[in-house]
Amino acid sequence: MKTPLSSAGRQGTATILLIVFLLAAAAGLVGLKAATDRIVREELPGSSIIYIPSGKFLKYATFGFRGLAADLIYLWAIQYYSTPTIDDRFDHLDHIFAIINELDPRYQDPYEVGALIAVQEARNVGAAFAILDRGAANNSDQWIYPFNAGHIALMTIKDYALAETYFERTMKIPGAPDFVERLRANAIFKKGDLGTSWETWLDIYERAADERTKKIASNHLYNVKATIDRTALEAAVAAYRERFGRPPADLDALARTGLVREVPKDLDGKDYVYDPETGRVRTAISPWRR
Amino acid sequence: MADAIRIEDLRKSFRLGFIPKTREILKGITFSVREGETFGYLGPNGAGKTTTIKCLLGLIRPDAGSIAIFGRPHASPGSRAPLGFLPENPYFYDYLTAREFLAFTGDLFGLGRAEQGERIPRLLELVGLARAADLPLRKYSRGMLQRAGLAQALINDPKLVVLDEPLGGMDPLGRKEIRDIIVRFKDEGKTVFFTSHILQDIEMICDRVAIIVGGRIVKEGSLRDLISEKVLFTEVTVSGLPPAAFEGLGESVSTRGDRVLLKVYDEARVDEVVGLVHDRKGRLVSLSPRTETLEDIFVDTVTRT
Amino acid sequence: MKRIGAIAGITFKEAKRDRILYLLFFFAALGIVASRVLAILTVGDRVKIIKDVGLASIAVFGVLMAILIGTGLVYKEIDKKTIFTLLAKPLHRAEFILGKFLGLVLTLFVMTAAMTVIFLAIVYAHTLQVEGRLLVAVAYIFLELVLITAVAILFSSFSTPILSSLFALAFYLIGHLSWGLELIIKKMAPGTGRTLVRILYLVLPDLENFNFKTEVVHGLPIPPGIYVSSVLYGVCYTAFILGLAVLVFRRRDFV
Repeated sequence: MKTPLSSAGRQGTATILLIVFLLAAAAGLVGLKAATDRIVREELPGSSIIYIPSGKFLKYATFGFRGLAADLIYLWAIQYYSTPTIDDRFDHLDHIFAIINELDPRYQDPYEVGALIAVQEARNVGAAFAILDRGAANNSDQWIYPFNAGHIALMTIKDYALAETYFERTMKIPGAPDFVERLRANAIFKKGDLGTSWETWLDIYERAADERTKKIASNHLYNVKATIDRTALEAAVAAYRERFGRPPADLDALARTGLVREVPKDLDGKDYVYDPETGRVRTAISPWRR
Repeated sequence: MADAIRIEDLRKSFRLGFIPKTREILKGITFSVREGETFGYLGPNGAGKTTTIKCLLGLIRPDAGSIAIFGRPHASPGSRAPLGFLPENPYFYDYLTAREFLAFTGDLFGLGRAEQGERIPRLLELVGLARAADLPLRKYSRGMLQRAGLAQALINDPKLVVLDEPLGGMDPLGRKEIRDIIVRFKDEGKTVFFTSHILQDIEMICDRVAIIVGGRIVKEGSLRDLISEKVLFTEVTVSGLPPAAFEGLGESVSTRGDRVLLKVYDEARVDEVVGLVHDRKGRLVSLSPRTETLEDIFVDTVTRT
Repeated sequence: MKRIGAIAGITFKEAKRDRILYLLFFFAALGIVASRVLAILTVGDRVKIIKDVGLASIAVFGVLMAILIGTGLVYKEIDKKTIFTLLAKPLHRAEFILGKFLGLVLTLFVMTAAMTVIFLAIVYAHTLQVEGRLLVAVAYIFLELVLITAVAILFSSFSTPILSSLFALAFYLIGHLSWGLELIIKKMAPGTGRTLVRILYLVLPDLENFNFKTEVVHGLPIPPGIYVSSVLYGVCYTAFILGLAVLVFRRRDFV
């Protein structure tokens, strides 16, 4: 005869069944998660931020936590821009950093890092300038922003006039380092405005507080004069060749024929070196090794 | 003797429900409780007993009428300084111990440290909670909570003690203890005002009662005046004779074995019954005259209204 | 006065038994400590992240504490009927409200102080200095919490905890959107419409008056006038809300 299960026995069986069920369910959900993960899905991590019209709007939705919101978006942006697999990630670079800047205009890192990403990785100089201009506008006491912009203008796009403007702006901000005025003077030289470049370097020379700066200024002055003289001399050589069918034998010939009033000497009083075969004039020594 | 409580034409209606329907609960209550007396407030469920008490205590704002406690209008909180209150089904802060709760109550009455130090142990002893005094109140049984409630009602040595169903939910031993305490109040000259459904207890300890039905006081007066001494009927228990033998003399209420319980209304007939038992060789088991009780009056009043 | 103190005392005792308090405190501490981990992800200034997250944790969890506990305070007394014995004492209803309020403020003070200690410790671990200015930000966050507490108690005196929490939360959100109204006013043409919006703007709470997080984190100067002005605003508004609560509470019948 089968003995019916006692109540306690029934309880025990029920518990065992329950445990078995739980283990099966747990195994099931872990397995399914692994399987679902393997399915590839179109994913744009966090890029819904692109659709926010502007930081102005976001400012009101942060309920007094603007600084924190700026931090979090900035942290996200760093991760976003270090993910090489997202091909179009640079499309909204300025927009995203504009949001961060509007939320916390005094947060310095995003301006610099944003400009860096723009120049180095996105190769979008326009965005870099937009970011740095915002930085300068919101932080008029920070010289680093016009300085970085001037640097980009000078080195990356070689827009010397723009560089000059930025360096000039940098110089006006208290705390800007001395060498910025030299960068400006150099930009003016590269721009081709030799007259102003001479005056600027002269000014730096006269105001120089130490020997090293004086020496640098002096070398630049030498270089400017040499460039002015060389340009004039080479033009005269070309005119001589036009008139006489051959280049002059030496530079004095130019003075003798009246093409130049007198043959200039370099800033140290030395002669320039003339090569009759090429018609080129150069300095006896390098301006930077005087 | 001044009036401890004086209520005149007390009215209160409530607006209930989503579409407010006004229900008149108190329709003009007037009564007074004299100082030093023990007063019972009776009525069927829903008559307005608790509402009256809540108006008295300032928990509910009456629509009209006046309430004075020892002559002071009830609206000022100061009128409750000589008052102690024990609600029905008392609820207290369950994370406090009885001792802490009494200390808190003492603070509310402005009692100093010394006074509290003297009174609290005495009260705990009085209500029989001395041993459980440091357990949190959530561990208390219903009866223990009732006792704690009584203790907190007495912390300020009140002149007027208001009790809402103080004897409900207690076992017979507890009820006796509470009854004794209430009687002691009377000896101490305190005024006691309480409601109860246990009419036997009210009959035992009250001086005066009021019966409220449907929001109106329908009877008020001292027990002595309300309850006459006349005998309503006599209960006779007889054995050895069949019920039929007593036809015409009394009403046979019940039969068990060979015992018959009779209700004899006419006093004269009682002697006849006794004689009959004797003649027919039966046995008279018991004979008890029943006088009018409060319960009779209560039921009569309520059914008549 | 002693009665208010007695009620504040038991309110404090009751509040500190509420497990929600410790749960929220745990999350706040977690947030503050996690700021260190978050800071590692940044390029540049790490301390700013730590300070921003820390102050935000104290503010957010402080507000949650104030709302979640405050909205239950008065409601529980009414629901559990402990209020019957309480109001039968020679106690003004205003004293009851004030006592509950002060008890909760005391609880929040202890909690805020504890969170601040952890916060300053984390900042110290990173900068090796204790910045007094952070305390200024925390102090004004606390003032904001005090006001929110008053609001929570106001709603608790006539509404269920869930509804009260929603209303109190709405108050907090509206309080931080006040400058949205300012913008609207600027864009409106003068007239009755604008006057109405203006009145609304002046009456609705402006919780940004207590928000010095950005200034403190960036080391920006705070005009000294605003210290006093904000404190007075906070005290005044709190008194107003408590007054409303007393008004509502006085008219209540406890059936």
